[in-house]
Amino acid sequence: MAGAAIEERAVEVWGGRLTMRVRIAGSGPPLVYLHPAAGLHFDPFLEALGADWTVIAPEHPGTSAGDPEAIHAVDDLWDLVLVYQEAIAALGLERPAVAVGQSFGGMMAAELAAHDPALFERLVLLAPIGLWREDRPIANWIMTPPEELPALLFKDPGCAAAQAMFTPPEDPGEAVAATAGLVWALGCTGKFVWPIPEKGLSRRLHRVRAPTLIVWGADDALIPSAYAAEFGTRIAGSRVEILPDCGHIPQLERAAETLALVRGFLAG
Amino acid sequence: MTATPSLIGSAIGYATETEGLDVAVYPVGRSLGKAREPVRVAEEYAMIDCISGGRLMAGFPVGLMFDAAINNGVPPIEVRRRYEENMRLVLRAWSDPEPFAWNGRFTQLPSVNIWPRPLQKALPVWITGVGNPATMRLALENNFGFNYFGWFGSELTASRVFARFREVADAAGIPANPNRLAFMASVCVGETDEEAERVYGPHLEYFFNKGPGATSLGKLAIPGGISLPGIRFLLEDQAGDFGFAHEMRHAGIGRILEVGAAVVGSPATVAERLAGIARGYGVGNLVVMLKMGSMPRDLVADNVERFAASVLPRLRAETMGDDAPHRWWPERLGGSPEPAGAALRGAA
Repeated sequence: MAGAAIEERAVEVWGGRLTMRVRIAGSGPPLVYLHPAAGLHFDPFLEALGADWTVIAPEHPGTSAGDPEAIHAVDDLWDLVLVYQEAIAALGLERPAVAVGQSFGGMMAAELAAHDPALFERLVLLAPIGLWREDRPIANWIMTPPEELPALLFKDPGCAAAQAMFTPPEDPGEAVAATAGLVWALGCTGKFVWPIPEKGLSRRLHRVRAPTLIVWGADDALIPSAYAAEFGTRIAGSRVEILPDCGHIPQLERAAETLALVRGFLAG
Repeated sequence: MTATPSLIGSAIGYATETEGLDVAVYPVGRSLGKAREPVRVAEEYAMIDCISGGRLMAGFPVGLMFDAAINNGVPPIEVRRRYEENMRLVLRAWSDPEPFAWNGRFTQLPSVNIWPRPLQKALPVWITGVGNPATMRLALENNFGFNYFGWFGSELTASRVFARFREVADAAGIPANPNRLAFMASVCVGETDEEAERVYGPHLEYFFNKGPGATSLGKLAIPGGISLPGIRFLLEDQAGDFGFAHEMRHAGIGRILEVGAAVVGSPATVAERLAGIARGYGVGNLVVMLKMGSMPRDLVADNVERFAASVLPRLRAETMGDDAPHRWWPERLGGSPEPAGAALRGAA
């Protein structure tokens, strides 16, 4: 599936005030992927999922190329949940999708599943944000200096996946565009979680009815893996998997194990 | 420049009024990008205007990002929008003769009815910026004065920032009247250049090393606080607008003086340098800061005394603004201020 075409669709939502760009790849039943704070990147994990699923990945408002000011059409988290719900509805899926969300996208997936319990058939949360424990504070990734990000996101900052993520493009113009895009994406997603990424999800998680898989890296330096159990106890019947020797992005740092877990779970 | 501008402004307003000093009171500012009680800000400034007998210049910076986002928890991407809404509310609270309801995004109030009202019919409003053209446009379109400062090293940044202001003014079709521009400088006056450098040097180093130098650029540029085109500009420009900010933490007095981050020397040197800044950048107002860092009280008093006695008369001999009435200066001090905020009110 590597190198397969990624279709791009624009769906109008929010009473015509916002056009959301959605990237679609692969084939099979629908799988909604909600990206992390840094924006949408079609990584090997998504490419692999595309073998069995039609991966449908909306871009968070403001993070789509050429439309940065779109973020200002969405005021708060409630707006944002409704915007995503409208976008999924506008895609006209023939059956309820399964959903996978990573980090910020994990919180969004959980918010959507709590708001509209029939929206997703199954739910996979990869190290989601959204809860807060005073004894285990979540690192402020938005303020983390760029040179400290590899160690925040990966157990082994020297691993190939980390190198691939943090090696800037050779072309200086592309490098500037990539850095600026990353910074702006952190600002656009940060709008809904600054200054503390806890906006009441703990009071809403009981509404999630979709069978849920929670995957966490044991050595997550951004959100301690203790949060896996916090999600697990609040979502009835959910399953928690902790991967050893793994940081905040299990689908990249422990790609094979994570893919096997997700595939097995989604196949039901 | 202080953490509690209204408190200090009221003390200065009272002291200067009882001493009979006809000077403007200019708190550089209540940052409205962070303010969660904008009506209280409107009342505090109105009270300072009353205490000072109508000598307030109302400074409202958007605010430093770390202060708004970290100290006050405002999402960085909302700081500028909060500023604009708060500014609209403050200006209307000062000018609307009737109580009104306010249905804003950040503030909702059933009835706004401030007490006291400002003494001045048209309070001069000033905004301090670091070079963002959006802030310059905001100042021009709303009849605010625009204040820029020398801490980043005026030799490195001032000419480009003031040139940009003129470009923005030209594009907006608004004359860049020198009276609407101010330059704010840390100023140290000694008997001779050598003495000034020796006496004030350690205090300037303390100030730059432990004050602005201790704030990392990352905390001034938190993601979301700068628009996407702004980020690209800063990356491609290699942060030239921030001058020697990245060196401040460890800068010695030689470097501080070399980049023009402070104006230091004998009365003649200081007067010549400040007049040169005003002429060179087309600036009609100078804001001088005579106390900084670890300066002891007596040295501050010496500095104020020397500036007033030996520098000010030389500067007054210069013609700084143009001949037209000064429209960003309190009426009681000879200005003819006009109402501020037209564009913001139009956007409401």
